[in-house]
Amino acid sequence: MQTYDSNGNHSETTDMEMLLDALPKENSTDPTGQRLARLITRISNKKVPVTSFSRAWILSSLHAKVTFGYFAYWLRSRFVDADEKERLRNEAHLDAALRLLGTMGYMRGAVMKVGQMLATLPEIVPEQFAEVLSALHFEAPPMHFAMVREVIIDEFGREPEEVFAFFDRRAFAAASLGQVHRARLKSGEEVAVKVQYPGMARSIKADLRNLRVLLQPMRLMQDWGNMLDKLADIEQVLLMETDYQQEALFGKEARALYTDEDRVVVPRVYDEYSTKRVLTTEYLHGCHLDQFLATSPSQEERDNFTALVTKAIYRIYYRLHWFPADPHPGNFIFMENGRLGLIDFGCSRRMTDDEWRLMCNIEQAVLKQDEQQSRRFIAKACLFNNPEEIEPARLESVRRGVDWQMEPCLKEGLFDFGDREFFRRGVDCIVDMTRKRYTRGSPLYLWTNRLSLGGRALCYRLKGRCDMRKIQQQESVWHQ
Amino acid sequence: MRITEQAKQESRARILEKAAELFAGKGFEDTTTRDIALAAGLAAGTMFNYFPSKETLGMTMVTDALNQGTEDFRHRRTGEEDLTEELFLFIASGLRRLHPLRPFLGPVLERSLSPFPRKTVCQEGEAARLRHLDTVQEIISRHGFTEAPDYVAMTIYWSLYLGILAFWSSDESRNQEESKGLIDYSLRFFVQVISGASADTGEPHANI
Repeated sequence: MQTYDSNGNHSETTDMEMLLDALPKENSTDPTGQRLARLITRISNKKVPVTSFSRAWILSSLHAKVTFGYFAYWLRSRFVDADEKERLRNEAHLDAALRLLGTMGYMRGAVMKVGQMLATLPEIVPEQFAEVLSALHFEAPPMHFAMVREVIIDEFGREPEEVFAFFDRRAFAAASLGQVHRARLKSGEEVAVKVQYPGMARSIKADLRNLRVLLQPMRLMQDWGNMLDKLADIEQVLLMETDYQQEALFGKEARALYTDEDRVVVPRVYDEYSTKRVLTTEYLHGCHLDQFLATSPSQEERDNFTALVTKAIYRIYYRLHWFPADPHPGNFIFMENGRLGLIDFGCSRRMTDDEWRLMCNIEQAVLKQDEQQSRRFIAKACLFNNPEEIEPARLESVRRGVDWQMEPCLKEGLFDFGDREFFRRGVDCIVDMTRKRYTRGSPLYLWTNRLSLGGRALCYRLKGRCDMRKIQQQESVWHQ
Repeated sequence: MRITEQAKQESRARILEKAAELFAGKGFEDTTTRDIALAAGLAAGTMFNYFPSKETLGMTMVTDALNQGTEDFRHRRTGEEDLTEELFLFIASGLRRLHPLRPFLGPVLERSLSPFPRKTVCQEGEAARLRHLDTVQEIISRHGFTEAPDYVAMTIYWSLYLGILAFWSSDESRNQEESKGLIDYSLRFFVQVISGASADTGEPHANI
């Protein structure tokens, strides 16, 4: 029954009905979804203190409630087999944990996105998945210019207008940890100056601490230790991202890999204008994916960029043993004359020698279609000593994911990354592994999955083709 | 007459300089007015003609720095700032000038700017407070407010400002970057209070 209050607005009853409709149901314990709806409503009625990082606490919207409902459902579903006492204890914990989400700063955007993804996973279409992935980066609040000036003075001892010949007051892009301003050096070069929001490292540490609390209901799972390892890895990579000098190093290493002929451009780093918190690089003229697609590019242009993205990433991977782990569309610039610009190496993951060897072993085994070796190395990647220890269903599920990753390398000639069916299968593999909780593995795979799914989401939206097998063979020569 | 005035200014400057060195070296609490007079080459009695107490001395340094900060602020202002941003610029400019005094700022402010009632009010501290609030008032009036914020709003502002000073003077983070976040957040809060805005959407404050 629809009711309206004196202002003609929907009343709480209607909201509750809509929430009940939208929330997932658990057949055994909560067939109507009432309990979950009550839990979410109770939490959303409580106020959470906000910081400048998370000014808009939006759990009051229906959309957010549904998102949180799925989060709760996902966490709760891990306890279907637990006894009633344990379940109740976790219910109380869940309540506290979900409220804690609202206090998260830097990572809250990302966590909300994961919740949204969980909410749409069963019926997700590849386009949505590609979009969610590209939006799955972290957010720092915008800085006004007075704050930017203070950071510049702290870093260089002078006002931005003194350090640079010109410095645009307005940021032209949001970066993962701050924002980017256009500027011109006194020597005339046009540059992009990335300025970090003060105190990010502390916010990241606090968020990770909160995230650990949020996930406490899962502590009895056998993979809890592995989950903690992954969170530690995330924390390490994100904290490294707060050091722009580290990012400058990644950028310089990558820049040295390409010649004019490669048509891949990594902007030059200006060391004398860069510090831990400010990174000044050459400004690349060009456009982002959406603008590029809006020009209705020809198939040839799409194929060109697909090949360049593939080549650029493979080269870094094989020669430097690290990879950019945040391949969202904003980090690729579509430049004139079919050149591809690669920017933002902040979120990069370097592989240890052991990790690198295992990656190579899996790759070689799958390429040679050596079934026994493939199973052996996949088991190892899932942290099992040998293939006999791993449950057949888990092995098969993970195997499908690995095969999907390698599939384009096994095919002669042009591979069509715009093939909806192919991308869909990749999404299905991830969904399957997540649903069956077969996610145990080295933290490295968090990033490699993000790279391959993110990269393929980009190529899928590009509707591009390339001879992946040939590119892989050419680039991998370096490690053989 | 002119020579006397010049000599006075020189003595005053010397006292301030030596006091700053002693405060930074020995700490504010452990430095006596005698130590300062000795270091400045003056008789203790003579020094009292310049500064009647150690508190006055410390607060004079703070006031001088804050006045310079206000000057800097007027030069740095471009006129394009919204209210929050302009207040941020004002506070940040002051802190930059206060920076050399940071090692002994805590005890000086505690004595001279304490919000709690005291037997003797530090005149320099009170004057600095009024000047600071005048500038805040001037900034606010530039952003379309026709009336001055009431006593409560300005008390809230001053409490936030003292809190910022207290936090900043012992902020161990790199370049006191955590204080910058605190200033930003405090000012957004204050602007929200005087604007009566129900929610801060993160957009620049409206040009009222």
